[in-house]
Amino acid sequence: MNYTELQVTTNFSFLDGASHPEELVLQAALYDYSAVAITDKNSFAGIVRGHVAAKANGIRIIPACCLDLINGASLLAYPTSKKAYTKISALLTLGNLRAEKGKCNLYKEDVYNHSEGSKFIVVPPPSLNKSFAFEPSFEKQLNEYKSVFKNDLYIAASRRYNGDDHKYLFRLNQLSQALNIPLVATNDVHYHIPERRQLQDILTCVREKCTIQTAGFRLHPNAERHMKSSEEMLRLFTHYPDAINRTAEIAHACQFSLNELKYEYPEELTTEGRTPLEELTHLAWEGAIEIFGEDLPEQIITAINHELQFIEEMNYANYFLTVNDIVRFARKQNILCQGRGSAANSTVCFCLGITSVNPTKFDLLFERFISSARNEPPDIDVDFEHERREEVIQYVYEKYGRDRAAIVATVTQERQKGALRDVGKAMGLSVDTLSRLSSSVWDFNDELFKGSDLRKQGLNPDDKILKKVLKLTQELMGFPRQLGQHTGGFVITQGKLSDLCPVMNARMENRTCIEWNKDDIDALGFLKIDVLALGMLTCIRKAFDLAKKHYNLNLTLANIPQDDMAVYDMICRADTIGVFQIESRAQQSMLPRLQPRCFYDLVIEVAIVRPGPIQGDMVHPYLKRRNGERVEYPSKELEEILERTLGVPLFQEQAMKIAIVAAGFTPAEADELRRSMATFKVQGLVTHFEKKLIGGMVKNGYEEDYARRVFKQLEGFGSYGFPESHAASFALLVYVSSWIKCYYPDVFACAILNSMPMGFYQPAQIVIDAKKHDVELRPVDINYSLWDNLLEEKSNKYFALRLGFRQVKGLREEDIKILISARTSMFTSINELSDAGLSKATLEKLADADAFRSIGLDRRNALWEVSASADKAIGVFKGQKNAEENISLPEMSKSEHVVHDYTTTSLSLKAHPVSFIREKLEQLHIVATNQLQTIKEGALIKVAGLVLVRQRPGTAKGVCFITIEDETGVANLVVFAGLFDKYSKEILQSRLLMVEGKLQREGQVIHVIVHRCYNLSSLLKQLTSSKKEELPLLTLARADEKSTPVPSYPGFNKKANAESKTQIEIFHKGRNFK
Amino acid sequence: MEKRFVTIWFPHLKTDWISIRRPALARQPFVLTVSDHGKIIISEANIAAQKSGIEKGMALADGKALIPSLKYLNDKKNPSGKLLTSIATYCIRFSPVVAVNHPDVLILDATGCAHLWGGETSYLQMIINRFKKMGYEVKAAMADTIGAAWAVCHFEESKMIIPNNDQKNAILQLPVAALRINEEKVELLNKLGLRQINDIITMPRKALRRRFGEQLIERIDQALGVEEEFIQPVQITPDYEERLPCLEPIITLTGIEIALTRLLETICSRLKKEDKGLRSAMFTCYRVDDKIEKIEIGTNRASNNVDHLFKLFELKLQTIEPALGIELFTIEAFKVEELPAIQEKFWEDNIGINDIKFSELMDRIAGKIGEANIHRYLPDEHYWPERSIRLASSINEKNTLPWKTEKPRPIELLNTPEHIEVTAPVPDYPPMIFRYKNKIHKIKKADGPERIEQEWWIQEGEHRDYYSVEDEDGCRYWIFRLGHYTGDKRNQWFLHGFFA
Repeated sequence: MNYTELQVTTNFSFLDGASHPEELVLQAALYDYSAVAITDKNSFAGIVRGHVAAKANGIRIIPACCLDLINGASLLAYPTSKKAYTKISALLTLGNLRAEKGKCNLYKEDVYNHSEGSKFIVVPPPSLNKSFAFEPSFEKQLNEYKSVFKNDLYIAASRRYNGDDHKYLFRLNQLSQALNIPLVATNDVHYHIPERRQLQDILTCVREKCTIQTAGFRLHPNAERHMKSSEEMLRLFTHYPDAINRTAEIAHACQFSLNELKYEYPEELTTEGRTPLEELTHLAWEGAIEIFGEDLPEQIITAINHELQFIEEMNYANYFLTVNDIVRFARKQNILCQGRGSAANSTVCFCLGITSVNPTKFDLLFERFISSARNEPPDIDVDFEHERREEVIQYVYEKYGRDRAAIVATVTQERQKGALRDVGKAMGLSVDTLSRLSSSVWDFNDELFKGSDLRKQGLNPDDKILKKVLKLTQELMGFPRQLGQHTGGFVITQGKLSDLCPVMNARMENRTCIEWNKDDIDALGFLKIDVLALGMLTCIRKAFDLAKKHYNLNLTLANIPQDDMAVYDMICRADTIGVFQIESRAQQSMLPRLQPRCFYDLVIEVAIVRPGPIQGDMVHPYLKRRNGERVEYPSKELEEILERTLGVPLFQEQAMKIAIVAAGFTPAEADELRRSMATFKVQGLVTHFEKKLIGGMVKNGYEEDYARRVFKQLEGFGSYGFPESHAASFALLVYVSSWIKCYYPDVFACAILNSMPMGFYQPAQIVIDAKKHDVELRPVDINYSLWDNLLEEKSNKYFALRLGFRQVKGLREEDIKILISARTSMFTSINELSDAGLSKATLEKLADADAFRSIGLDRRNALWEVSASADKAIGVFKGQKNAEENISLPEMSKSEHVVHDYTTTSLSLKAHPVSFIREKLEQLHIVATNQLQTIKEGALIKVAGLVLVRQRPGTAKGVCFITIEDETGVANLVVFAGLFDKYSKEILQSRLLMVEGKLQREGQVIHVIVHRCYNLSSLLKQLTSSKKEELPLLTLARADEKSTPVPSYPGFNKKANAESKTQIEIFHKGRNFK
Repeated sequence: MEKRFVTIWFPHLKTDWISIRRPALARQPFVLTVSDHGKIIISEANIAAQKSGIEKGMALADGKALIPSLKYLNDKKNPSGKLLTSIATYCIRFSPVVAVNHPDVLILDATGCAHLWGGETSYLQMIINRFKKMGYEVKAAMADTIGAAWAVCHFEESKMIIPNNDQKNAILQLPVAALRINEEKVELLNKLGLRQINDIITMPRKALRRRFGEQLIERIDQALGVEEEFIQPVQITPDYEERLPCLEPIITLTGIEIALTRLLETICSRLKKEDKGLRSAMFTCYRVDDKIEKIEIGTNRASNNVDHLFKLFELKLQTIEPALGIELFTIEAFKVEELPAIQEKFWEDNIGINDIKFSELMDRIAGKIGEANIHRYLPDEHYWPERSIRLASSINEKNTLPWKTEKPRPIELLNTPEHIEVTAPVPDYPPMIFRYKNKIHKIKKADGPERIEQEWWIQEGEHRDYYSVEDEDGCRYWIFRLGHYTGDKRNQWFLHGFFA
């Protein structure tokens, strides 16, 4: 007699099941089950994982689900064939789409319409009523089900250890015989082992929003809902052997496997009756001729032929056509896009225009990206302008229809902090304890359980509750919590998508997604296309538009002149503020050392400053070898892999290849290794792979130290994997943005400002940088500015850049539209603006931004006028000036203006704030940042500036990098970990930071190694207040010159303080990056 | 007479209040926090914290970056309102008219008060010292107008007393924020370069009114005393307290009994009027030698029955030591509850625990044998049988949970299950016989098992499999086996209760 468990709730029934599908399947395999069903609540979300795990363990799963109905008893549904599966999937889709995200509204009638080919088990009420019988309504329900499902209906019989199990089963059996609906034994499994009951109780608490102490009867009295062995089930159902036999009967009938799902690409993309391959071939050659001319280079012809042959072999033609279709739409709409990913950098893609990376620059073999052995679908991600990606997404939905296209789901998992919070809350820990706990818990490791970190936080690591919390947290980590939508991964099918998988609503309007995530669809061999958003593309497109308008250039990603030495010179100087990817502090300091001279150097540059290579200690060896150190390869076979990067693994592909070639991994294992790093570090897989990789490499004669570094690097790749193919696509954007910056800094600055927020820098730095490159900048003005920043006439070599209203904080685009449409001729008074319909608040903001200069008012006078604008002449007196005595306001100093510029636009064209206190700084022997160039290495210096960026990368062992800026430029500070702790207050609080330290020079890169820090922010206060006495006060007499009293102890005079306080806050706090 | 006003500003009202209650905190930096859009923001910082640069409005995370050991407490919604009002009530001793100005200022109409304390300076100094002694840091100022006193108290460090009619001079140099106008107005004025009251006071009224509205003008006029300002004095909330001073000191028990009766009569008649009854009360006797004698009673349900309450006190009256005599008796009801007058129905008695007579009886029994010896049980939400019932806290505590009846539970549940010896041959089956207190019971009928797991967050251990069994005498028992059936190894069995 064979028992098959038919009622299994996994943790994809969120906050209900307490085991992963993998765990349940493994447990079933351990009990020698040949099959096990997975029946999540109104969902198929967990079945793929179960399927994959079952395959690996040599059993099979029965894809099924539990249908919780609004107007009937729950039904377990088991499709027996692909057709039946399709129907159930359509049923779930129906329920999903009529409910909000995360819910599924189903009625029994819906089930009747989709029941063909499926077996059903009805789940009876858990207990009998007072007269030891089932409610008559349930009997009625059964009758109705029976009349619809006929012989495909069963009743679930479960032993719950409720005390009256025998009575219950006896009654159930009576009912079953009376209605001729056979009994089936199930165990209503919620977890794979009884020990998981505790976690299940916690999940119940999270779901019911209560604590374990108050949960009461919402919990279950015992732990019987775990998976049990066949023998145990047989024993429990000794009196009802038929119920056991029937599980086998159902399992036997349900032979449908997810393997049968055949994914088919849409076919409507061909023209003139060609087959997909013919179409692709046609388009590829057509594109090739367009790019290279009739006289195709031999190399291209071979490459195209080779690739097409490969595509034919793998049957990927449709995939390429689909991508091509989307890209073509974007291009028609003038949306800039760029493909990346394993297949994107092929010659065919270049000919189709999917990528602009010229394959001849880049002699990579196609198969290096797509390995037929791995049988993994090609991977093409397409980046679009971030402001216009939605258009592309809606195009896809529209073209293929919502029933055929949907976004892939992402499974939001319980992360460390979230899991800790959930468990802690459910265990009734106080908010305070919880926050202390979560601040002391960085990583779940043995250290934690030893408890030294906990003790530091004043927690007792031997506390039983605390121990339990940590143990349960560890179990909960990695649990799926909800299904979200992937950033842009689309699945598009030939037939109905719901034939393959239930579709559901996403939280965002107009979006639908499927229940499976990218790993799931990978496992089933579905292809997905990533439609992603990239800010830099928006910026580049805006730059192209400006270049067209002002310089009459028709630029595209493909036609920017390549290999321009002037551009590389600029890059080598690290003059890269605003440039894609290589603008960060770390990148900037790498550039002069790496000295990129060709396209491939940029590819390396993009990939090298990443956690992977840094954690793997690969950066310095690479730089040394580049500067002439002899390259040695650990072995001949690795030379092939590592040749292009001088023997140092920098790319993800290389690390994986090493695992295959040097450590004897199969390609599939290597892939699993990469994935295990990316998803979760808890599951013990990492240690397994670590042993395997290092062991394997040592066995093959590599040094252990080297092996360890390779592994470390792989670990780093986990979260930020950076494959060569992606680096290549990014490098192109690096080059293009550098080229624009190099030749058209006006266009570049304008485009970046109009695409903000993006990148690493604030508008102030972009503006300063543009000035440095001889671009004239003009302030916001009501008579000249538009919403966007714009280029006016040529002032020198370049066009002058007029700041737009978008730079002014708090202005709304609609208000500016009103202003611009009213601007038929130059405005001459504020009343005209107010008559045009601009609100007082808007006018105040414009005044604050000092935008009335063209009508002869500075910000203060403008504000004086504006503040009276609500009270203006109307009716017949309209347009008349307000009769008012002339009142003279105190004049504003330049420094005060600068402060206010910073308040309203975060930048000032008038002067740099630090310039006003230079004199004071000089008295303190503080040097300007531009003087650092001339000071010799090792000198002790003092330098001060506004804090732009503070960075404490996880890879830098607690070292903090700070960039400060004064009126002459920027300085880079390095604060070592010990000092950071000592001066954290100064570092974190200062707007104006002064440091003492030693100058260090490495090539052209200058650092200040900080010894001491001081907070000089109070100097900024004086920009507005202390100068007051010296200012002419025209008409208002002042009795005496006593200034506002200065507080002598903290807390006193808070309100008087408040004013000067806010002035410090005007200056950007500086950005913190991890 | 010229009006005189005092304003008292508590710059650290809440943190001072906490420091007073938790002296250990006082010397170290601590802050109060509120959560705002998921961020935890510092709503108040004590002086020690402010010295390290921690300010109101800062994110807690930033504060902790400055002082890693920073203590923080949750800021309760609005204790400052209550707190300030209670301080205002206290201030009634300084002046009959005290008003609160939220969040942290008190206004006293001190007209004609100061001379009682020897002049204005010593009056103010006395007030400041009183608060300092309590642990509150305050700033106070006195002037002809509230506005001027407010301004000076917030923005002048050393000046406290503004002489008559000198308010204009006193405020000219102060920042415009001293006018008690909202922050936006202050900001606007500052942007226009108008920083001191001086800068605006001479401006044409019309120009000011157009731009800054009526309020600014009003505030200026109020500060200068051109316009009168009215305040809303706090009122003392009526407490349930009655006093009975005596002309002659009382030294006899009879005297005390009379006093008690009189006090009870007054307080009960007041309670009756308000449909209330007391749950606890304190009878206090102030002796002529400054000592205080107290007795306290509590009732099971609210009562305003003089006789009953008297009886409760009576049991303890012996403990009062009158010594040289008692000059003042007070009675205070701490806990007062609604007690609607019940329509008396002479054809029907209230029965059960709703009967007043019953609870009065209970009070009397409790007074004699001690409350700890009377129990009432209510159901509790636990599966574990020992925890499925709990002691009720009072006789009239409402049962919020229904008694669970779907599973059989014995009438009598033993506090600790008692070990029994059994013969039980098959798993998941009840034993055939068991021996309890040396008597063999042959089991004739049984039901079960009902498996109940440990409540792991309270206690760990093996589960129990409960059976309801009936022996040949027809007696029913609730027995259980600890843990899984182990076959050869003997399981432990227990008897846990008796069915009727």
